[in-house]
Amino acid sequence: MATVVGGGGSGNAGGADDQSSVPIRQPVIARPPRPRRTGPELASTPLVVRRREEEETVVTFPSLVWKEFLAGLGAFIFLLVVSIQVNAPLLQRANTAITPNPAKAPWYFLGLQELLERFPPVMAGVAFPSFVIIFMILTPYLDRNPSRRPQDRKVAIALFTIYLCLAVSFVVIGVFFRGLAFNWDWTRILGHPGVKPPV
Amino acid sequence: MSARPTEGNPLRAFASQVWGSIFRHGLPTTDKVAARTALTNFFLHIHPVRVKKSAIRVSYTLCLGGLSFFLFILLTISGLFLMFYYIPSVDQAYQNIKDLQFVATFGLVIRNLHRWAAHGMVITVWLHMARVFYQGAYKPPREFNWAIGTFLLLITLLLSFSGYLLPWDQLAVWAITVGTNMAKYAPIAGPYTRYLLLGGRNVGQGALIRFYVLHVVALPLIGFILMVIHFWRVRKDGFTGGL
Ligand code: HEM
Repeated sequence: MATVVGGGGSGNAGGADDQSSVPIRQPVIARPPRPRRTGPELASTPLVVRRREEEETVVTFPSLVWKEFLAGLGAFIFLLVVSIQVNAPLLQRANTAITPNPAKAPWYFLGLQELLERFPPVMAGVAFPSFVIIFMILTPYLDRNPSRRPQDRKVAIALFTIYLCLAVSFVVIGVFFRGLAFNWDWTRILGHPGVKPPV
Repeated sequence: MSARPTEGNPLRAFASQVWGSIFRHGLPTTDKVAARTALTNFFLHIHPVRVKKSAIRVSYTLCLGGLSFFLFILLTISGLFLMFYYIPSVDQAYQNIKDLQFVATFGLVIRNLHRWAAHGMVITVWLHMARVFYQGAYKPPREFNWAIGTFLLLITLLLSFSGYLLPWDQLAVWAITVGTNMAKYAPIAGPYTRYLLLGGRNVGQGALIRFYVLHVVALPLIGFILMVIHFWRVRKDGFTGGL
């Protein structure tokens, strides 16, 4: 896809005028000239790689690698700080005779548990998830709209946003608003009316 | 880089030879050197030599795919440390976790790191999927990579879920009991699936060893292979870039 057109790095004296006199190095679509960096190593024409789209490209090393390094470092420091401050939960040793109340699945499955509260098990536990997974895999084949611009994809974006909102709210409900026996319970978050929350 | 004046100092000459044998190219002084460095370095060659400028704006990918991968690596490393202490037996597992928390040096932090990174990865993978959708990056020619991504999402959830059981505390056992009860509802295969997953009718030793093997070997391996294909396809299909 990318074609190498420029030479450079060889230290020839041609330098800057090279660009204008040799037709092959002319971009197809005129672009504002890049600001020339100066310095001994950059005196010659830099290696130029052009994509068909004639979009400006940059070398991945070091610019992208550097960004990735910073992102990774940031994430690591963040997690390290969290891990020093907050301990992962560890309750009593497992006891199959004592069922905790409420018994909850891990948070990312609480959406499913919420569905199970509301629909017959075959629907909630099997039909819905299978449908979501299959529909997801098929999405690129079903969506025949070739445009990637948000203005042209209102329906797709609306549908996906509804799906995301539903999924997130079910998880939020499961985590924060389901109390004993997985019953709805405002007081977990809001406290009891008239009673000061224990601090 | 080889032109460095090292004559006269045998130690520097030797050091320079060793360095040069490992890193073929020096720091990128020109684009060409940078390109060669990326091409000849195993860890860097996962990148294309050049990318569209618009594609690597942080605001475009939000680093989410990359962060998911980073968390996966972090989980692998921290998980490896946990494995030195953890024995997947209903009699010992809980005590092992207690020892990690209170006896082993840095055990607590490593355990916390593993746990929070796992939650984090579930979140970043979801967000990554959302960003891919909103940018229409699943459209041809990337339909198949979206499908691979779907399986990666499932693997991520299953990895997290299988790990949940291992501390063998009340939270673990009952979350897995609730979780696997959902499998029971599938028309014919349901009860069998649950039995297969738990190696019995209840969450016991059979379930613990199965979840352990899934968690430390099978799922990470499948996930890693899928990621390799995922990254390969990102390169071969070209990265979408600005809208
Ligand atoms: C373990 C989970 C995953 C990892 C480690 C991962 C990693 C990556 C990385 C590093 C990229 C490059 C761009 C970026 O950083 O955003 C990418 C692109 C992509 N991912 Fe993922 N991904 C994962 C899950 C998924 C999921 C769940 C989906 C969707 C269902 C998906 C679909 C895609 C697609 C279609 C691209 C190409 C995007 C483009 O060209 O703009 N991936 N992935």
